[in-house]
This record gives sequence, C-alpha cells and structure tokens, in this order.
Amino acid sequence: MKTEDRENSLNDFIAGARSAIPIFIGYFTTSVAFGILALSSGLTPFEAVLFSMTNLTGAAQFMAINLISSGAVIGEIVVSVFLMNLRYFIMSASLARKLGLKNNIDKAVISFGVTDEVFSVASLKSGAVSDSFMYGLQLTAWTGWAAGTLAGVTMGSFLPRTLQDAMSGALFALFAALLVPEIKKGYRALFLSVSAGVLNTMLYYMWHISAGWSIVISMLAVTAAGAALFRNEESSVEQGVEEAG
Amino acid sequence: MMSSALVIILACGAVNYFLRIVPFIFSVGDNIPAYLKRFLDYMPVAALGALILPGIITSFPANPAAGIAGAAAAALTAWIAGGLILPVFASIGTAWIVLQYLSF
Repeated sequence: MKTEDRENSLNDFIAGARSAIPIFIGYFTTSVAFGILALSSGLTPFEAVLFSMTNLTGAAQFMAINLISSGAVIGEIVVSVFLMNLRYFIMSASLARKLGLKNNIDKAVISFGVTDEVFSVASLKSGAVSDSFMYGLQLTAWTGWAAGTLAGVTMGSFLPRTLQDAMSGALFALFAALLVPEIKKGYRALFLSVSAGVLNTMLYYMWHISAGWSIVISMLAVTAAGAALFRNEESSVEQGVEEAG
Repeated sequence: MMSSALVIILACGAVNYFLRIVPFIFSVGDNIPAYLKRFLDYMPVAALGALILPGIITSFPANPAAGIAGAAAAALTAWIAGGLILPVFASIGTAWIVLQYLSF
C-alpha cells in the first residue's frame, strides 16, 4: 500500500513536470529577456536572479524594473505590484478549493508557486489534482523562470540588440497561446477575454488608470458580469476538457 | 546595509507571497454558491484578455505593430499546432522581422 502510494506520487510528480515543459520554455525565454532588461535598468546580476527566485511573477517584475529605472520610490513599486498581482489572491482561492490540501507545509510551498500559467494548467486539468502533480509542475516552472534570468544576465550583452528588443513581446505571446485553446472550446472564453481586453484598454487610455489597477478592475467587472449572464453550463467547455484529458 | 533595489525586491516578494498564501490558509469551503464558482471559473480567461490588451500595444512603444504581429503569430500558431513552445518562438521571430524590416 505504502509503496503503491509512493509510486503514484512519483508518477504524479513526473506528470506535473511534463505538463510544465511548455511553461518552462515560455518562462525561460521570457526570463532571459527579464535578465537582460534588469541589467539595463541598473540591477546587479545577483539582484536580477534573486528577483526571479523570490517573486516568480512575470508582468509585475517587468513593471517593477521599469519603475526602478525611472526612479520611483519603494511605496509606488510595492503598491503597483500588489495591485497588478491581486489576481493571485483570486487564483489561489480557486486553486485552494480545487486542491484541498491538508498539510500546512504543502500549503506554504505550493501557494508560493501560483502563477497565471500554473493556475491555468492546474485548474483546467480534469479530475483531482494531487500535491505531487503540483510540485512537479511548479518546480519545473520555477526552474525555468530562475534559470532564464541567470542565462539572461550571463549572456545578456552578447545578444544582438535587435533580438533583445524582439523578446519584450514574448510574455504576451505566452498569454495569447494560453487563451487560444480556451476560445476553441466555446464562445464564452472569446466573449470574456475580448471584453476584459477592451475594457482594460479603455480604462488605461481614456481614463488614464494605472496598468495594475485597470487590469484588476477589468478582470473583476467582466467576470462578475459573465458569471451573472451565463447561468447554465456550457456543454462545449466540458466536451473540450474531456477531449484534452 | 542593503541596497534600495534589494529592499524593493524583498518587499515585492513579501507582497506576492502574501497574496498567494492567504487564500490557502483561510480556505473557502466546498459549499460555495454557484455564482461564485462561475466567477472563479471565468477568471482565467478574463485575466488573459486584460493581460494581452493593451499590453501587446505597449510592449513595443516605438513600434506597436511588432507586438500585435507577434501576438497574432502566437495565436495563429497556437490555433493550428497547439502548445506554447512553437507560438512563443513564432512571436519572437515575427516581432524580430517587423522590428528589422518594417518601421512606421
């Protein structure tokens, strides 16, 4: 019985790590760009790698180094990061519900590794998700993010300038590639994502609300409206999940 | 004496960890209303939409077309081939071509 449990845990860990391979590559690529940009914003290589190891967050790290280089004070940066990453609170609440962890150490470690992409993979996986699966998924994702920054600060200055520039859109390509499979499953994902994007653009350009705030407002407003509007289950979503699983 | 950048990095790390761990400690029960369940289920796609727009436009301030073309290439590649690896490389390649050869 015990041996069987260990085998199941190991299999789940490997399954988690394997499903994180695309995330690893996406993170590594994006994080190389972060390492390069962090140096040009005045961080030391040690600070850049420490940033990725301790924060494990994409857009907010890019935002933070932008603010650091423009001379913003610590309060502005911390508040912006808090606002931009308020979504982690909601994602963690959803994941905590799905995972149902009992062990406090598991909670402390797995909560640290919650990211947009890890959340998407774990919450879209059909059926129960084990702690071992999460460890495999998150350790692989974290390694990709940390190693990418290390590679970025190491080789940064050797890359052609034009290729460095082309990398600053890699994060958004990652977001777009994550969204497409959801849109393929049904019209709701298209409606919700486009609405949130349009609202966010309006808030940002027309009312000049900061990027962090406008993302939070757009997410909350569109999700609240969508949850009230779509009352029945969308059959094509469930079919899509079964096909994927 | 820590440098100010180090203080900022550690403060941001504390903020991020706080946001992530609190819902795990004070977990929401199983009997949550259907509306709240849908709310949590719909959050990822709404988040992705808001993260993409207008981010792809602002990611290349000097040449927004590079960001839009890159994301379009990623979406198209994801639609046809699936996965995340190929779309990311397709977007970097497309953005690079636009930055190299197309300026407005």
